[in-house]
Amino acid sequence: METSCFIHPSIAFLTLAVLVPLVPQEVWKVKAFRGALALVAPLVALYGIFTAVPGTYGALHYLDQALVFGRVDKLSIVFGQVFAIIATIGAIYGMHVEEKGHYVCASLYVAGGFGCVFAGDLLTVFLFWELMSIGSTFLIWQARTKESVGAGFRYFLYHTVGGLFLLGGLLLKYKATGSFAFVGVDPTQAQYYDWLILTGFCVNAAVVPLHAWLPDAYPRASVAGAVYMCAFTTKTAVYVLARGFAGWEILAVAGTIMAVFGVLYACIENNARRILSYHIVSQVGYMVAGIGIGTAMTLNGAVAHAYAHILYKGLLFMGTGAILYSVGTAKLDKLGGLATKLPWVMVWYMVAALSISGMPLFNGFISKTMTIAGAAEAHRTILALGMEIAAVGTFISVGIKLPYFAFWGGKSEYKGEVKPLPMNMYIGMALCGMLCIAQGVYPHMLYQFLPFHAEEAFHPWTIDKVLNSGLLLGFSGLAFYLTREVIKPHAFLNLDFDWFYRLIGSVTMRAVCWPISKVDDVWTEVYRTGGLRALIAMGDGTSVFDKKGIDTVVDGSAYTVRYLGRVGAKAQTAQLQDYLAFAAVLGLGIYALVWYFG
Amino acid sequence: MSQQGLGEILAKWRENWKTWRIIFFAVLAAMVVLNVFFHSHHGHFWHLDETPGFFAVFGLVVGLAMVIIMKKIVQPFIKRGEDYYGD
Repeated sequence: METSCFIHPSIAFLTLAVLVPLVPQEVWKVKAFRGALALVAPLVALYGIFTAVPGTYGALHYLDQALVFGRVDKLSIVFGQVFAIIATIGAIYGMHVEEKGHYVCASLYVAGGFGCVFAGDLLTVFLFWELMSIGSTFLIWQARTKESVGAGFRYFLYHTVGGLFLLGGLLLKYKATGSFAFVGVDPTQAQYYDWLILTGFCVNAAVVPLHAWLPDAYPRASVAGAVYMCAFTTKTAVYVLARGFAGWEILAVAGTIMAVFGVLYACIENNARRILSYHIVSQVGYMVAGIGIGTAMTLNGAVAHAYAHILYKGLLFMGTGAILYSVGTAKLDKLGGLATKLPWVMVWYMVAALSISGMPLFNGFISKTMTIAGAAEAHRTILALGMEIAAVGTFISVGIKLPYFAFWGGKSEYKGEVKPLPMNMYIGMALCGMLCIAQGVYPHMLYQFLPFHAEEAFHPWTIDKVLNSGLLLGFSGLAFYLTREVIKPHAFLNLDFDWFYRLIGSVTMRAVCWPISKVDDVWTEVYRTGGLRALIAMGDGTSVFDKKGIDTVVDGSAYTVRYLGRVGAKAQTAQLQDYLAFAAVLGLGIYALVWYFG
Repeated sequence: MSQQGLGEILAKWRENWKTWRIIFFAVLAAMVVLNVFFHSHHGHFWHLDETPGFFAVFGLVVGLAMVIIMKKIVQPFIKRGEDYYGD
């Protein structure tokens, strides 16, 4: 069991989350100190991952169960590695942020992601799954805008429901099999509880139609927070799907639908960050499809694509986040002509845009072609075709439409103020961009970490593959050129599946509120006619009693009551976010007590 | 390179957009020609992609269809005002 030592990355991030609130405010204001402190955790994580020896570490007994926190094997190492890299880049990109909350929420969220990846059993997965959900919800609220509050609540509701599916599934599985083991499930032996667990995972993987939370919440997250958001939630879900549900046919089909659905919506979207969010759905679709097809090559393709995707999608969100930071909006109809004002943002954005499009020399090329070729070689021609269609749409939306209307021309230009960006944002983007290029030019850098053994090694850099990709993208570009007037973005909201979810929400609200309001109406009437008169009569009586000399005795206790009332009023901010935070802290305390005495 | 220096280069590029358009078309043509000599021998899509220019036609047709169908046919049905949900 416990042989050598493994530094669990979650410990570093949880420690950071505890330390940050304790730092004195005047020291915290120093950017160098703040940045250095925030960088310690991801650097420890990087060190831990690169020195990790495969094995099982950190078993803990809790509620008569053996929880395994450190299952270190090839699959968890490769995900842990890219998580550590993006956490490092995210810390650099976000070190100008002064709110402590950003660092605490991001650290909890990242710790949850790492915890899921290295979890050896379903119960541990669930614990970190919920930590991730809470951390990311508060990270959305860090944007501190009105729309982020609502989006955060909806996000939290989706993930709570998803988490309950997971919890229900794993408890039923425990009842049936007597273990929380988290291993691959043979699709021919699937039980109903496996389907429940799968549903829980699919909510986080943004499988259509369970994806509505993603384009709702991500565009509304804070600039620095979105870098973490786009990396952890969906990719943790990809990891657990690869671990538990490889070869499930339904995922192969669902993934391809996601890949196409995402690009279709991105095609008509106006908000740059929402375009990117729909492209997360699409890109995760490739991974889910690869997992569903389940050959060594498609599984490797899914893992490689997850790795590449975390880097280039992080960079895309950094680039559009930089625009949002600089000019205050990410809506394409309001932007235009920014290339000369934010030239380096344009350059790094384009590196990421060409990466996601699968252009040779960039890392999407070496991961996307692998997944598609794997699908075709597994004789899943229709699925491979769907992914090629998605590739066309990706280049048109993210590769051309977004940068063309934000940085170049085609319509009116942005005339307002352009706020200069802090240097650390440029450094974060440059680091990420260089990694995207390095992996594209030198695929072995990524391929050497792929966990599954394929019969034949995949070589992306052959002349026919490069030409095929070049032609596909080049002529998609021509299609854009011909339709550039049609595709011009307009300020609209496009209905998506969340219309149904919102309907469920409002119907439920009405079903709850209607009887309560009726009871309230009746009660008010009763009180007005009967209660009020009695009260007035009583009031008259007590005022006489009061005047007779009670004043002096009561005053003292009145002060006490007033004081208590003030404390109570302060605690009750009527901000549901605060109550959620209290509940989370209380829950953690109860867990700790159970562990200590149990 | 400084922000301003790069910005000026990009501004110059933007003025010369006609040259860039010629370069773009030339690259497309060159790739199609090269594709005649170098094409896949183990096609993925019912051997159709062994034909030179398959991916050129695929990219163009799918791209045109996607933009026109989504913008002209689908969006009119699903578009709403920006604060339709009031958030």
